[in-house]
Amino acid sequence: METTRLWLMYPAKLITRPIIHDLGHKFAVTTNVRQASVTDEIGLVCLELSGERGEIKRSIAWMEDLGVKVEPVEINTIEG
Amino acid sequence: MSKKSWFSNLKCRECGRLYEKEAIHICEFDFGPLEAAYDYEAIRGVLTREVIESRPKSMWRYRELLPIDGDPTVGTQVGFTPLVKSDRLAKKLGIRELWIKNDTVNYPTLSFKDRVVSVALSRARELGFEVVACASTGNLANSVAANAAAAGLKSYVLIPANLEQGKILGSLVYGTNVIGINGPYDQVNRLCSEIAGKYGWGFVNVNLRPYYAEGSKSMGFEIAEQSGWQLPRHTVVPMASGSLLTKIHKAYKEFVDLGLVEVSDFAIHGAQATGCSPISTAFKRATEMVRPVQNPETIAKSLAIGTPADGYYALRSMKETGGSAEDCTDEEIVEGIKLLAEHAGIFAETAGGVTVACAKKLIETGKIPSNESAVLCITGHGLKTQEAIIGKVGEPRVIGPSLREFEALVADEVAIKS
Repeated sequence: METTRLWLMYPAKLITRPIIHDLGHKFAVTTNVRQASVTDEIGLVCLELSGERGEIKRSIAWMEDLGVKVEPVEINTIEG
Repeated sequence: MSKKSWFSNLKCRECGRLYEKEAIHICEFDFGPLEAAYDYEAIRGVLTREVIESRPKSMWRYRELLPIDGDPTVGTQVGFTPLVKSDRLAKKLGIRELWIKNDTVNYPTLSFKDRVVSVALSRARELGFEVVACASTGNLANSVAANAAAAGLKSYVLIPANLEQGKILGSLVYGTNVIGINGPYDQVNRLCSEIAGKYGWGFVNVNLRPYYAEGSKSMGFEIAEQSGWQLPRHTVVPMASGSLLTKIHKAYKEFVDLGLVEVSDFAIHGAQATGCSPISTAFKRATEMVRPVQNPETIAKSLAIGTPADGYYALRSMKETGGSAEDCTDEEIVEGIKLLAEHAGIFAETAGGVTVACAKKLIETGKIPSNESAVLCITGHGLKTQEAIIGKVGEPRVIGPSLREFEALVADEVAIKS
């Protein structure tokens, strides 16, 4: 069991879609929203995701396929 | 220097919760970033202009305002780079007075990153880390490798595998462990976060970030001291994550609060490359929502951060001080590098070109009034990004070993006196 902490950024076209609900049903992961800001332009959600490592990886890949930008909570670990 | 610590806690920038001074970087409640907090009352009693002036000329002369407990042990000679007045560049850009904060000559790796790394590694030692690490595309990697080598710390440097050879050599030479990672940026970024979380290493820009970031304040302290204990009316700062700009703002505010400088109006302006300008774009659209740039495309690679972690805070700093943001094209960046080199004798990397080019625009548009004074923060040496200007600064003219050929060549250029 692992826990990862992520920032999700949704483009406008995905704001109406219940992505976190779907995530919890499609994959064996526990979701915990810690902070969120949604406007008509962009959705930002800070999410704690717990589960087996493989399930977490598949969850992230699924969200990215949908068009959600998934960053670690640090946002940038790679600097200039 | 005394062993007493004036650094009291880590504090969440969002909710204000206090944390112990450990290797942590985000708030457990809202995942807000943590930053160093100090006992300013105690500092007020000990830190005077005279005390600072009596100390060696390094960034550690402001030691009470940097987040370590004991004396610094890594990078003790870093900082106190020249603040250079350039009348020629001022005239060229059309402003009354112009100063260059020249971190191209920062010790030992010729960029402002030596400031942040010396704090991060000094703190890493206090926290008992034997291995330090970073993920970087250039300047940070070089600085961690060099400073860790000098301090006898083992280091790992993670880089995207397709990085230019010159930048890889600039880390390898120090005997660090360089690990190239294949894959898209997002995946490399997440892997680095996982590695930082899993291994008990001091990751300078992840779990040591609150300490690391504070090192940038020293640039602001030095500018204020070197300006004769005054705050410059305008400061132009390049933005990648936006951290440097927020920390220069914090430095100026701390000096005002401690009575080390007079209260005066100051504006801090941010500069980005148009090919990766999420902060400048948000500023121009008058929104606090920084939209990520998916595929940064600019020659200013050290600024090419598509999702700037401190973007929101940088916007706030610019707004609060009456500053503004600007961005510039690759052509303008090269022009900025040349302007600085030809008028101030300073060879800057592409980020320096961004600062100069954006300052030029800010002056032209009156956001920096031409009858005022400005400081440009130049953060890294041009030798690091030579490929950006190859073929754009002319070629040498070649002649045979003949005085006649030489005279023919320069006949129209100089009046030769016999």
